[in-house]
Amino acid sequence: MAMTETDKDLEALFAAARDTRDDMPEGLAARMMADADRIQQDQLTLVAPVRSRPGLWDQLQSLLGGWAGMGGLVAASAAGVWIGLAPPEFLPDPAGLVFQQEEDLELFQSFAFNDVTLEEG
Amino acid sequence: MKDLPVISSARPGDSASVTGLSDDTLLVMFARGDRQAAAELTDRLGPRTYAVALRVLGNRAEAEDVAQEAMIRLWRLSPDWQRGQAKVSTWLYRVTLNLCFDIKRRKKPLDIDAVPEPEDSAPGPAERLQDAARHDALQGALMQLPDRQREAVVLRHIEELSNPEIAGILDISVEAVESLTARGKRALAKALADRRAELGYGDD
Repeated sequence: MAMTETDKDLEALFAAARDTRDDMPEGLAARMMADADRIQQDQLTLVAPVRSRPGLWDQLQSLLGGWAGMGGLVAASAAGVWIGLAPPEFLPDPAGLVFQQEEDLELFQSFAFNDVTLEEG
Repeated sequence: MKDLPVISSARPGDSASVTGLSDDTLLVMFARGDRQAAAELTDRLGPRTYAVALRVLGNRAEAEDVAQEAMIRLWRLSPDWQRGQAKVSTWLYRVTLNLCFDIKRRKKPLDIDAVPEPEDSAPGPAERLQDAARHDALQGALMQLPDRQREAVVLRHIEELSNPEIAGILDISVEAVESLTARGKRALAKALADRRAELGYGDD
């Protein structure tokens, strides 16, 4: 008996709650719209830069001064390589220097050492 | 009891172009910068998230915060929203309940399991129930329920969602939803019967 009454009460309370479920407090909808506007603006302005965000190559290029700087760097590097491979007359040949050093060492071991000791004695 | 969610239904009286569109479509339009879509979604979904937060938390200020935050998350999600994958409202209910859970956890860091089930023991101090119930009999009784029961009852009997949709929101089986709502309703009826007795209405 009591449960029937309270069941009816409960249904009435649910119905009353459903009647007010679309009510929002003063200002809440406006705050939601303000958030929506702000986020929508942020997202729309963010979309473009995010997509064209500079990659590693672009970042390196701007670091080295754009195409002009890159051109200079490439020229200098090429010159360096060229000098290394085919040095002008007034510069020692690096490949030759390495080779010569090994020859010197062998000379020192076979002859030079004896010469030094003989001179002292 | 209607099983159709009220939220996504079009309003026949309205003539504006956005009112007939699905939440899904509106969210995609929002991401593309459509302001009318934002207004329509706020109109449809704002009251849903607020109503659920209010009934689950029993606190207006907290419910407002939760509803606003839930909508912020919806706006932020919009560029990544996959059409047809899930219902926007389901996603929003779920986020709303998670935010409610966060607030409750922050407020009382005690073990959830330590809260007694109302069916097994007396429903808290009678004065406290009566005091809460004086403002809103239903809310007073709802606050006596364990969290999951309260969530299921609110979604079923106030939001009028179908059991499968509630199952999707709470991430449990349909059977578990049925069990939660049945137990919740029994506990609510008992709390109301106790209240009637306390207020001296008698049992007829």
